[in-house]
Amino acid sequence: MAVKIINKTVTDFSLRVTRCFFVPTKTIHSNVALFQDNLDTSLTSIEVNRSPLPIISSRKLAFPPKFKVPRQVWVSNMDTVEEEKLGLIDLHPEVFADRPRMDIIHENVRWQQLYRHVSYAHTKMRYEVRGGGRKPRPQKGSGRSRHGSIRSPIWVGGGIVHGPRSPTSYFYMLGFNARLNGLRSTLSAKLAQDDLQVVDSLDIPTDDPKYLETLIEERGWGPSVLFVDDNDIMPLNITAASDGFGHFNLMPVYGLNVYSMLKHSTLVLTLAAVERIEERILFHLNRNDAAQAASKYRLDNF
Amino acid sequence: MAGAGNRVLAGADRALDLLRSLPRLSLGNLKSNPKAFQQSKRGRGRYGGNKHGAGNKGSGQRQNFMRLGYETGNNPFYLRVPKEPYYKGHHLRREYPPISLLQLQTLIDTGRLDTSKPVDLVALCNTKIFLLSPIEKQFGFQLTDEGLDKFKGKVNIEVQHASEQVIAAIERNGGVITTAFYDPPSLLAMRDPIKFFASGIPIPKRQMPPEDAIEYYTDPKNRGYLADPDLIALERFKLAQKYGYELPDLKKDPELAMLLERKDPRQIFFGLSPGWVINMKDKKIFEPDDEKLQEYYKS
Repeated sequence: MAVKIINKTVTDFSLRVTRCFFVPTKTIHSNVALFQDNLDTSLTSIEVNRSPLPIISSRKLAFPPKFKVPRQVWVSNMDTVEEEKLGLIDLHPEVFADRPRMDIIHENVRWQQLYRHVSYAHTKMRYEVRGGGRKPRPQKGSGRSRHGSIRSPIWVGGGIVHGPRSPTSYFYMLGFNARLNGLRSTLSAKLAQDDLQVVDSLDIPTDDPKYLETLIEERGWGPSVLFVDDNDIMPLNITAASDGFGHFNLMPVYGLNVYSMLKHSTLVLTLAAVERIEERILFHLNRNDAAQAASKYRLDNF
Repeated sequence: MAGAGNRVLAGADRALDLLRSLPRLSLGNLKSNPKAFQQSKRGRGRYGGNKHGAGNKGSGQRQNFMRLGYETGNNPFYLRVPKEPYYKGHHLRREYPPISLLQLQTLIDTGRLDTSKPVDLVALCNTKIFLLSPIEKQFGFQLTDEGLDKFKGKVNIEVQHASEQVIAAIERNGGVITTAFYDPPSLLAMRDPIKFFASGIPIPKRQMPPEDAIEYYTDPKNRGYLADPDLIALERFKLAQKYGYELPDLKKDPELAMLLERKDPRQIFFGLSPGWVINMKDKKIFEPDDEKLQEYYKS
């Protein structure tokens, strides 16, 4: 453990301290992991046979960027608690270093919260309120105002005009490009803030929840983690290990969305997931029938 | 990651660099653009307490309109100007949306068109740059002469209308051009072949051009698809003489087979005959067995 602290560069360490100023949770998790002595030695001393590093050294990008520089990211392992860097890969700047548009991210989150929201708030109109069929008093001669019903909206206990009516659907469809750019912006922001990690696979040697918890604490991956793999049938060990935690979640690439990425502090992608995400987003950015894809959403569009 | 270092950061890089020193982006600190999701105020009464779309004051609001075209005593416009019936019979006329030679060259240069195969209306529609609407009386594309001097492609192209200069520009580069007619049902199949195949309808038989188009498509000067091939060869030579270029010898061309490829006058897709049903899912083709059908679909 001590060796690891020395290995960390000064900038890396100071950066962590600055960021902890804003996000107190981060400091507890990284520092506790670095200095604590109560780590279970049985979990940290798992032997792994691996071919000489680096295992992954390069990656060919589809649609090579002409003007932007690819982003480089370490690929780490999941089969030991301590982080080993298996190699360095390039990420496509159109996907992982796009302009982080906060407004588009906000649009996406708002849409995800609203499209499935149904409001059941309800008020009664004047004809729905009980009673009120009789004229309360004669039109003339009483010396008081003229009224036809005690349930008129101007009466206390009368009907409500323009009140909420149940059920009200808040469904709407966000434009295709806003959804696409939302993913690009969020992935870019996550990578820029060091909240995006790439691992070779989600295979862990044990189904012990303590192992996963220690691993995440040791690497300073923040309180909540979203693991994303290409396949929706996840490895058994990580499924069992993460099952008891509400804040460690597994998700296939097809379920990846802006809301979940922001809900979790750290996003962990497997190499296969990186490939798949890049492939899908680059396909949509370069397809020749983009105009048709971005056309108005219809329920029978498929 | 891009640290500030000595580099001058701009655009997205600068924004991402700034993000590194900011708190973690989360659901709690997102913000929209100001006024992006402003709620409109609910007015009182029907139509939001407004003027019901009729404007303020005058004959508009009171809805005492004058009769259409009446100019309060002036000689009205519709009587003042003599008739100029430009659009007479517009519902019967055929429309050919233009594609310029410059656009064609751009399509080739950007890899949207494959010139190693014959280019026809299907290939042009598949670029997804041009939309053809047969329902609006559009009968295919015409090739126009814009960018004529810049055109360098050697293509075997089939369009529905082309001028003499355009034909010269294509043939000067060693290409081949044909003008061909397609009836609306064929055009509907050609504008989106995948969608058409999925409908399960047999490929239609291309109809002959209407009476007023027969002259155009049988004229070798227009490289019509119904013209005599020998006369077309003669016209190719004559056009080269007229515009003063040397006609490349097609027989020595390595792509001769592609350049000579053309459709049957009853055919609408290269390699597929009318009457066939295409199953894209199982990659199968069904041909008609019935003799009556074969008789109907034959050229």
